[in-house]
Amino acid sequence: MHAAPAFSPPLVLVLTSHPYPFSSQQRYHLQSADRMILPALILALELSGEHDEELALRLRRKEPQAMADLYDRFGRLAYSVILAVVRDASLAEDLVQETFLRVWNRAHAFEPGRGALGPWLLTIARNRAIDHIRSVGSRMQRNSSEFDAREHPSLFVDMERDVLNNDHARIIRLAMAKLNENQRKVIELAYYEGLSQTEMADRMDQPLGTIKTWVRGALKVLRAELGQEAAA
Amino acid sequence: MNCEELRSDYAAWAMGTAEDPERSEITAHLERDCDVCVPGVRSALATVTSMSLAVRQVDPPRRLRKRILALVMPEPGKSWFSFWLPWAVSAAFALALLIVVIPRAATPPAAHPGETAYKEVIDILNDPLTKDAAFGEPAARGRFFVSPSKGVVFIAAHLPTLDPGRTFEMWVIPDGGKPIPAGTFHALPDSTAVYFHQGPVSAAAMAISVEPDGGSPQPTTTPIIVTKL
Ligand SMILES: [Zn+2]
Repeated sequence: MHAAPAFSPPLVLVLTSHPYPFSSQQRYHLQSADRMILPALILALELSGEHDEELALRLRRKEPQAMADLYDRFGRLAYSVILAVVRDASLAEDLVQETFLRVWNRAHAFEPGRGALGPWLLTIARNRAIDHIRSVGSRMQRNSSEFDAREHPSLFVDMERDVLNNDHARIIRLAMAKLNENQRKVIELAYYEGLSQTEMADRMDQPLGTIKTWVRGALKVLRAELGQEAAA
Repeated sequence: MNCEELRSDYAAWAMGTAEDPERSEITAHLERDCDVCVPGVRSALATVTSMSLAVRQVDPPRRLRKRILALVMPEPGKSWFSFWLPWAVSAAFALALLIVVIPRAATPPAAHPGETAYKEVIDILNDPLTKDAAFGEPAARGRFFVSPSKGVVFIAAHLPTLDPGRTFEMWVIPDGGKPIPAGTFHALPDSTAVYFHQGPVSAAAMAISVEPDGGSPQPTTTPIIVTKL
């Protein structure tokens, strides 16, 4: 291992994070692999989508670059989720900052290799946003222990790894499109506004039982489309 | 309450919209590591997380990244770029990663194309004037590095699979101008690609579209990636 990169070997970028035998199909052969130090390598790793574990470890070690990687990976999604809830760009920035700081400060409790980093971060992001609109509307009493419970890293252990992959993005959009109007409405009120079922009943002027039926129906459709285990 | 009575409120709990008594009951079951409620709530959290993908994606302002990194950087103002190399040195080979590269330079091939490509890519990445911009889901994930004097490096994963006879084409979009073609490339079998285009670039944005083999003088399809710099 060289202390400083020496930029003379052939261009060899690392694009996969799984070991495979070298094949003659590669156009360029690997030479001087131990000197192959390239920032792009880091990017390639980041993009490989398989280094959550490594990233979580680096966060635990408080490596500043880990924060940069975390942001590059989930910043846009976290910002989008928060903005969708609070609908105020500058407030959304504050809450994204709060989210990343919280992850940074709590990464020590996160189990690298078993925890799902993205879902954890996005849960924290949405919680920050919902907490904010609730405190502004003083609708529901703030209950920080409740948030702490919902963000507890242990809940993100062994969660499906592909919750945030591209396929899921497509599938969830299709699934949302399959909801009927009432089902979509209650899901939106819960997800974007954090309304409880009682609050929805008031807002939509419907009996609580009807709201519960819609919510249950909506979740059933979503779970079925996502191929997720039916918990309800 | 028993687990059976709580099941239908797992999702509400996961969204933070459950009400008492279910809310506190579920919390209590989780606190005692209930064998039924923990996996049930975990599954509900996965569903709620998936919903975040249905949210319309918006690019955060560029300053937000700086702001967040400033929270954890030991020396304020230090470029994050400088954090890459030490990490690369220590971690790169611990990960047993492997390898591939097939840049298709827009320049005539040199005697040792690999070496040429390497140097050019490094030059672009090292150029202090290089701007970089990341893009994310749903189309693909990756990053453009644009040096005004040297060229563009594009690196991406999760690129879509192309039909036969189609290719990716890179576009330089000048401020207020028409897209300028910047060469064509294909992805590797694992849907990743590294591509670079050599030469001065004046870009307000970069784009990638899918075009017929050989490329087009102007995009003929809606670009799959458009990234402002
Ligand atoms: Zn239970």
